[in-house]
Amino acid sequence: MPISRTTFLRSTLLLMLIGIGALVAVVATTIWLVSHTQDYFDSVVTLRKSRAALVELRSQLQDAETGQRGYLLTLDEAYLAPFLRAKEAVPAQFALVEQRLAGRDASQLAKLKPVIATKMGELEETINLARAGQRDKALDMVRTDLGKTAMDEARGILAQIIEGTDQLLNDRVEEQNRSAAALWWVVVVAGIVILAVTLLGGLTISAYMRELAAARREVEDLNMGLEGRVRERTQELARANEEIQRFAYIVTHDLRAPLVNIMGFTSELEASLAPVKAYISHLDPPPIDPAFREAKQAADEDLPEALGFIRSSTRKMDGLINAILKLSREGRRVLKPETIDLRNLAEHASRTVTHQVAEADGAFDLDIKVGPIVSDRLALEQIVGNLLDNAVKYRRKDVPLHIAVRARRGDRARVVVDIEDNGRGIAAQDHERVFELFRRSGAQDQAGEGIGLAHVRTLVRNIGGEISLTSELGKGTTFSIVLPQDMRTVVGSIAA
Amino acid sequence: MSTEAISVGIVMIEDDEGHARLIERNIRRAGVNNPITPFTNGTEALAYLLGPNGSGEVSAGRHLLILLDLNLPDMTGIEILEKVKSNPHTRRTPVVVLTTTDDSREIQRCYDLGANVYITKPVNYESFAHAIRQLGLFFSVMQVPETA
Repeated sequence: MPISRTTFLRSTLLLMLIGIGALVAVVATTIWLVSHTQDYFDSVVTLRKSRAALVELRSQLQDAETGQRGYLLTLDEAYLAPFLRAKEAVPAQFALVEQRLAGRDASQLAKLKPVIATKMGELEETINLARAGQRDKALDMVRTDLGKTAMDEARGILAQIIEGTDQLLNDRVEEQNRSAAALWWVVVVAGIVILAVTLLGGLTISAYMRELAAARREVEDLNMGLEGRVRERTQELARANEEIQRFAYIVTHDLRAPLVNIMGFTSELEASLAPVKAYISHLDPPPIDPAFREAKQAADEDLPEALGFIRSSTRKMDGLINAILKLSREGRRVLKPETIDLRNLAEHASRTVTHQVAEADGAFDLDIKVGPIVSDRLALEQIVGNLLDNAVKYRRKDVPLHIAVRARRGDRARVVVDIEDNGRGIAAQDHERVFELFRRSGAQDQAGEGIGLAHVRTLVRNIGGEISLTSELGKGTTFSIVLPQDMRTVVGSIAA
Repeated sequence: MSTEAISVGIVMIEDDEGHARLIERNIRRAGVNNPITPFTNGTEALAYLLGPNGSGEVSAGRHLLILLDLNLPDMTGIEILEKVKSNPHTRRTPVVVLTTTDDSREIQRCYDLGANVYITKPVNYESFAHAIRQLGLFFSVMQVPETA
């Protein structure tokens, strides 16, 4: 299935967007997890600190109890040190616990506070009794289990809070694990998506590239075929052209043979007529037979007149045949490409008409704006010479003759040569006709057979150019010749 | 070898009878009275020159001069020229090519094949008659070798 350009662009764009989406998901999840981890870490630190504070509070209470028990046993003040330290530290520790828990388990703490107060109060009291020497009374007080109950209660409450804290810690760890797992999944899925997108994109691109390469190959093949076809057609054209020229050549020669007879026997007839005429005119006296008058008129007038027409017609036909022969021979001539300076050539051609231009009170302008070209010198000389001859021949007698030869650069490595005159011009309907063989335009007041321009066109085409004209009747004519800068580039391919 | 005793025959190969007649007349006008044997096609002419078997032995001992047109109905004059000039019996026979063709390659080819003279028939009759008469004068003074 061929991939169109838009489909290709759309699908690659879509794949790229999907890939970018997956990447964004990974990055966003990672950022979220990092901040979440930060939170987790903070809360874990807080929980650990509160746990430590709770444990410390419990051990302080135990220290206080331990100090009381030691003193009651020994009545040695030295054993009282833990109690004294704890008594000092417990309120601060409790405040710390309150602060660390930051409102959590507030009810438990509220319950704990009086229990601790009771316990500390019982301890203080027993110690005070012992100090006052009433150890038995103090021991009795211990035996009331008041302190033990308070202590057990405090222990229970603290254990509960610690357990709660531990539970919270566990929950947090659990939560963190879940987030990490989620991130893992996101990364894995996104990785798969990116991989898939990359693969798909690669496949699409390679398919598209293969198609491009195939299309290019096809175009190249077509090009080759086209070149071959052009070459083939060109050869066919060259062959056809050659055939036409050969045809013209053979026809003109075959036409010549009967013409030789007509002219020859016309002369023979004339030669035979001479003695007849002489005989008739020398008859003395002339016979009075009416047949003789007719014979004399035939010999003197009718026969010479008929012979005269035959002669002038054959002469004309000979001229026409020669013209066709000249054209066909021009086509058969082998062209010699050489470097030609157009200014030089035009100056040279103008010299042949200088005399006539001067006679017509005329002027000749030369404006060559191009460098040398490669062409056939003889053909170019004949082209320019013919056109200049025409300009002189068909001038208007009432105005000074003005001829201009201009050359300028055309497009596509071509040179345009304009030959302009202010002569009698050519009527619009004759613009194409004048280039045809034996066709002439305007008043037939000049000798000619209608060959010149046909010959010029053949010459121009032979050297790979084209000729056209612009003209206004009574104003003048401009012939424009478009020539290749290097005729080898054009004519070579035709002759091949 | 003396010329007076031996009559040189002119073989004219020309398909256009009008041309043949005009040529003959003008040759006669130049004072050449040698017999002229006209042929209007190449096959008959070759049969006469080289014999029915094409060996050319029939021409042995003849004194001939060939006037040859290049445009013939059954073959080109070039073929005849080639055969005449490659046959040992006729190769010394002078051949005058007289034709309407004035193509330079054709002219070169004829001389390459051994043509002795190449003349293009002028269309203008005065020139034509003049050329043929000159040719007749030329015939009257030229030596024709005996064919081997």
